[in-house]
Amino acid sequence: MTTPAEEQTEISQRVPTGCPVIHLDASAPLEAGAHWEKANELRETSPTFFNSHAQGYWVFTRYDEVREMYQHPEIFSSEAITPWDPDPVYRFVPTQIDPPDHAKYRQLISRWFAPNAVNRITPQAHEIGQRLVADLASKGECDFVRDFAMRLPTEIFLMIIGVPHSDADLFVPWVEDFFAGFGGDLEQQTAMGAALGGIRGYWEDVLEDRRHDSTPREDDFVSLLVNSTIDDEPLGDALILDILTVLVLAGLDTTRGQLGYLFRHLAENPDDRHRLIAEPELIPTAVEESLRMYTIIFGDGRKVAQDTDFHGCPLSKGDMVYGLVSGANRDPRVYENPDEFIVDRKANNHLGFAGGPHRCLGAHLARRVMQVAVEEWLKVIPDFEVKSEEPLMERGGGAMMTLLSLPLTWEVQS
Amino acid sequence: MKLTVDVSICRGHGRCYSLAEGLLTYDEDGYVTPRGEVIDVPADQADFARNAADSCPEGAIDILED
Repeated sequence: MTTPAEEQTEISQRVPTGCPVIHLDASAPLEAGAHWEKANELRETSPTFFNSHAQGYWVFTRYDEVREMYQHPEIFSSEAITPWDPDPVYRFVPTQIDPPDHAKYRQLISRWFAPNAVNRITPQAHEIGQRLVADLASKGECDFVRDFAMRLPTEIFLMIIGVPHSDADLFVPWVEDFFAGFGGDLEQQTAMGAALGGIRGYWEDVLEDRRHDSTPREDDFVSLLVNSTIDDEPLGDALILDILTVLVLAGLDTTRGQLGYLFRHLAENPDDRHRLIAEPELIPTAVEESLRMYTIIFGDGRKVAQDTDFHGCPLSKGDMVYGLVSGANRDPRVYENPDEFIVDRKANNHLGFAGGPHRCLGAHLARRVMQVAVEEWLKVIPDFEVKSEEPLMERGGGAMMTLLSLPLTWEVQS
Repeated sequence: MKLTVDVSICRGHGRCYSLAEGLLTYDEDGYVTPRGEVIDVPADQADFARNAADSCPEGAIDILED
């Protein structure tokens, strides 16, 4: 352990003048919107910082630098992606695999979540959306984040994988428990471990089942993995289970988070809501705008793979860096009126799905889930508002951000 | 006007073919087609092409104005 004074001396030797030093721990829940305000403040103060949080890491706050980080995996490795944990005990596949091996895993999985595959399941996705909205409509209120935003992406995800969508009854509590602990709450660690065990155990059973098939199943992702090879080798149970678990952890909570912010916006901005009802062809553009303005990725970490001078920061191999995606997506150097939600915004090149080789593999599916949610909800519940005595709170930026709850009310149509 | 997609930069975000449906489409893996070649942009597609290029998170699309 170093003393604070020693630490200060060490930082002043490493960090050049002109790169401000901050101490920012973004893991605690804050009032909704506070993370984006912080990101705005950091971005306009300096393009780069050194954050003395944890072992210390570099922070890039503006669009160009964040994109450059994503586009150069030879410098910015995905071996570690949380900047305060440079040597993780876990390895997410393909999330933490660098080129050239990355492409082999990626190709295998990405076709399953490509537009053609998403189009194939869209009619059923609408049916699921219609059913969930119909179940809620007569109640006149709900906690949107808990009752709808988590359930919809989970059911659609299970359907595209090829397992019963009713198993969302199992997955919703598992994912909730996992992320309650992932943010660092020590009291939740046991539940988090149990949830992870539940998720893996579920896939073990499916895997066992598919291994006994005499012929591969159609439209069944686990069957595809069982019958695939990489470098002429079958994938093996451990790798398949890693892939399936990562998809669950990367795909469900994230979509829930984005949906919560988008629906809070729609609840509080009747003009935008009414415009989407009148012009539903704008729904996809509004979804993109919500990904830009309400970015749930506060920042994204990478590990430096070679000594480099990056915009005045002397990066050493093994250093961690943090691209402030939420700062980049509201960078006034790139966007006009960046803090304004513009339903039909043009030139929206946001990095909400990251960039470079690790661009979110589920992006096409996530967009479709969000489009289905808006379309089906507005058809049945065109007017709704936030009803909360307390300010809305959001989960800290250490994991993906999400509103902790979003109480909505509406008049029940008789 | 002409448009080109740089294959070495494109990462398959899919923004371009969503915004310029009349001009661009996608393959089985979700990557834009055609790519790596110069595409003639009809006059009535010019605004869509510009928006597609400006909306690419990778900056993979170049527009050559006449």
